[in-house]
Amino acid sequence: MTTETTDRSDTSATLRDNAEVAAALGRRYEAGFVTDIETDSLPPGLSEDIIRQLSALKQEPEWMTEWRLKAYRHWLTMPEPHWAKLNIGAIDFQAISYYASPKNKPKSLDEVDPKLLETYDKLGVPLHERAKLAGVAVDAVFDSVSVGTTFRKELAEAGVIFCSMSEAIREHPELVQKYLGSVVPTGDNYFAALNSAVFSDGSFVFIPRGVRCPMELSTYFRINAGHTGQFERTLIIAEEGAYVSYLEGCTAPMRDENQLHAAVVELVALEKAQIKYSTVQNWYPGDENGVGGIYNFVTKRGDCRGDDSKISWTQVETGSAITWKYPSCVLRGDRSVGEFYSVALTHHRQQADTGTKMIHLGKGTKSKIVSKGISAGRSSNSYRGLVKVEKGAEGARNYTQCDSLLIGKKCGAHTFPYMEVKNPTAIVEHEATTSKISDDQLFYCRSRGIGEEDAVSMIVDGFCKQVFRELPMEFAVEAKKLLEVSLEGAVG
Amino acid sequence: MSEAQRTPFVESLLEAAAQAQLPGSGIGWLDAARRENLDAFVAAGLPDTRVEAWKYTALRALGQRRFAPGDAQATTRAVDAAAITLPGVDGPALVFVNGVFRADLSRVDALPAGLSLQPLSQALQGDAEPLRFALSRHYREGGDAFARLNAALSGDGVVLRVAPHATVAQTVHLVFVGAAAEGDLAWHMRHIVELGEGAELSLVEHHVASGEQQHLGTQVTDIALRKGARLRWVTLQDASAGSTLVRHDSMQLDEDAQAASHVLELGGALVRHDLHATLAGDRSRLETRGVFVLNGRQHVDTQMAIRHQALGTASDSVWRGVADQRSRGVFRGAIVVAQGADGSDASLSSKNLLLSGQAEIDTKPELEIYADEVKAAHGATVGQLDERSLFYLRSRGIPLAEARAMLTAAFCRAVFASLDNDALREHLDHQLMAHLPSA
Repeated sequence: MTTETTDRSDTSATLRDNAEVAAALGRRYEAGFVTDIETDSLPPGLSEDIIRQLSALKQEPEWMTEWRLKAYRHWLTMPEPHWAKLNIGAIDFQAISYYASPKNKPKSLDEVDPKLLETYDKLGVPLHERAKLAGVAVDAVFDSVSVGTTFRKELAEAGVIFCSMSEAIREHPELVQKYLGSVVPTGDNYFAALNSAVFSDGSFVFIPRGVRCPMELSTYFRINAGHTGQFERTLIIAEEGAYVSYLEGCTAPMRDENQLHAAVVELVALEKAQIKYSTVQNWYPGDENGVGGIYNFVTKRGDCRGDDSKISWTQVETGSAITWKYPSCVLRGDRSVGEFYSVALTHHRQQADTGTKMIHLGKGTKSKIVSKGISAGRSSNSYRGLVKVEKGAEGARNYTQCDSLLIGKKCGAHTFPYMEVKNPTAIVEHEATTSKISDDQLFYCRSRGIGEEDAVSMIVDGFCKQVFRELPMEFAVEAKKLLEVSLEGAVG
Repeated sequence: MSEAQRTPFVESLLEAAAQAQLPGSGIGWLDAARRENLDAFVAAGLPDTRVEAWKYTALRALGQRRFAPGDAQATTRAVDAAAITLPGVDGPALVFVNGVFRADLSRVDALPAGLSLQPLSQALQGDAEPLRFALSRHYREGGDAFARLNAALSGDGVVLRVAPHATVAQTVHLVFVGAAAEGDLAWHMRHIVELGEGAELSLVEHHVASGEQQHLGTQVTDIALRKGARLRWVTLQDASAGSTLVRHDSMQLDEDAQAASHVLELGGALVRHDLHATLAGDRSRLETRGVFVLNGRQHVDTQMAIRHQALGTASDSVWRGVADQRSRGVFRGAIVVAQGADGSDASLSSKNLLLSGQAEIDTKPELEIYADEVKAAHGATVGQLDERSLFYLRSRGIPLAEARAMLTAAFCRAVFASLDNDALREHLDHQLMAHLPSA
């Protein structure tokens, strides 16, 4: 992508002063509302007692409590990480309430608090309809406890286990004990250790040998109660030859204080298994001045444990005040494949430091990274990636492409790719470009009667096409819409 | 760092500082700067691999070594005259042996008009004030241990100035000889190069070995190019196979200044080269070209950082690396486009050949962009020779080893294509070929 250095045309200068644009600039976060439901929370603070209480509230077995305590003790010894290109305000871990669950736990979807369902309606995700129409099973997590799970039966017939993590701990302890923490160990990093100690709930997926999951699995995470950190824990296991596509989408209501979200996602793909994990993340990014917004510190890692397995990450990140997230693949099995497709958009004072790690261990392993960063306003957007080829990774192959698009003069776009190669038969390639939206392209669109905002939106859409193509259909539509909304007021 | 934690390396250099009779001692500001840098060096010691700038270069083994404080016999050591001449380089020359200036080997009589060239030790005997700015520098970054050490212990080096609008036709030759001595030595050199407005200069920096030794050499170079100045700078690094060499170059380019730097890294056991350039003036341009060819257990780490700070600045960098046997090549190429540096055009390419299962390449091209009217791109690859090209050559009757050598040479040679000194380019080609694995 090339850039022209000529001055902007006069038309755009007049547009800059356009009142409509100014109005769009000030538009408020559309999903910003708070549902009033009584919540049953633990008092703020973090200690071994709190963790024991949390574990007891969730009726967990002894081994789980011990697992959490072990992680907590390790976390205490760890320093907060500061290597990312992020400006993070101090986090007071003692001011956070580590558990909030809606009172009166419903037994089925019909018993779900109508107000809660209303919330989903506002977001445009009517649980039943959407599930039926789209053929998607939704395990909606509202604050920290699963409230409704659909399509359980159909999945059960196929032998698929799709339930909340708490349920899995109670009903499938052997699977949880075998796989939990096997990809992201409790002491892996600061936020993963914290998550291991206090994780509230999350999704558990188990696809048995040879089963192709009959539908796309989806979860909507929302953060609702104020002062509640959300510590999701997701574990997906695909046995030999299994296939699953998992969708994760997020929106959160408007809050003024920074909220911490430290999730851990673990994927395990055994021989010939395939896992496709897609995310659309649209948490509250804070206002124009950088007040409020979610801190999104996530550890996502997939382990291609078996030969010929494949893990594919696709993400569209438009929300959160701060994003710190590196979905990774450990390519252990021979000929295993890792993929990472990402669109990260930052506006106003958002900060994102995101990317991936591809660790090539097995023979003939392949990885592909496509990252598109868009920065506007006063935001900072970094790609940070590691491609590591170990000695035994005979014939490993990597291709990385990172492109950054700058909209405005006060934002930053950065690229930090690390390449470490120890095998002479490996081929590792990295390409990156940074540019602004070309005046030529803009002029072309404008000369054909397309408004400036629409033109920018079209160009950005084209810029991201390579990634959107990888998203499941309904997500692709949502992602495109999200980008449009997020970029409003960025041009001019 | 408490006394107990001091490594033998730090100990030996502290002892050296205590004994040293450095040129210029007695000048108040210089003594103070030397003392403060020494304190900073001792307090922090050598960086470990948790410091980002040293992530791929471990200094633990170096930390256990001791170095004698300079060579008392440096002025009498025999140096092969052939080793310190280069084809196409016939201008004035300054020669240093184990960090000590050798007037007998240098050529400084009849300097061309506008060129001032003398060793730092002599410059300090005269009016030291013009050197004050450069020599008072403090190095505060966590990874700057060697620059601190150098600031504390360097007493000699090159002071080179070109008067405004002067064009130096001949190529100036700076030679640094590491000569075999009774033990392992440490030497520290400080260079100051300034090209006045509209001045032009060709400079060759030449590191060469005379006999087997395992010395430590550190050197810090400040280069300033005033408005419209032009510098062509070639570095041939062919130090002794056992030596440790740490070079720290800072370059500033004012308005319309242009610099081209060509680097060929062949020798040394542990080599670190920092090249920091700031494009401070509008329309300034920098071209960097570099190759490293490694074998044995060589470890070469190049850290380049280019900062675009003004309008319409351009940088173009092409680096190639070849690592064979148990060697390790590290390259970091960071490009920063600061806010307001509109119209900047930056490109960087780092391509590497990994020829052995025990060798390693770590490369990290970086972009940090804070302006939107820019064109910035980088590319990096690590791989091996193209099978089809090899097949093509073999199908024409060229044996495998020779075909490999030809392709590897071609891979590296592209870097020197833009060098306009034909005789020197040919010589560098020869040196390169001689170092290539299968030749």
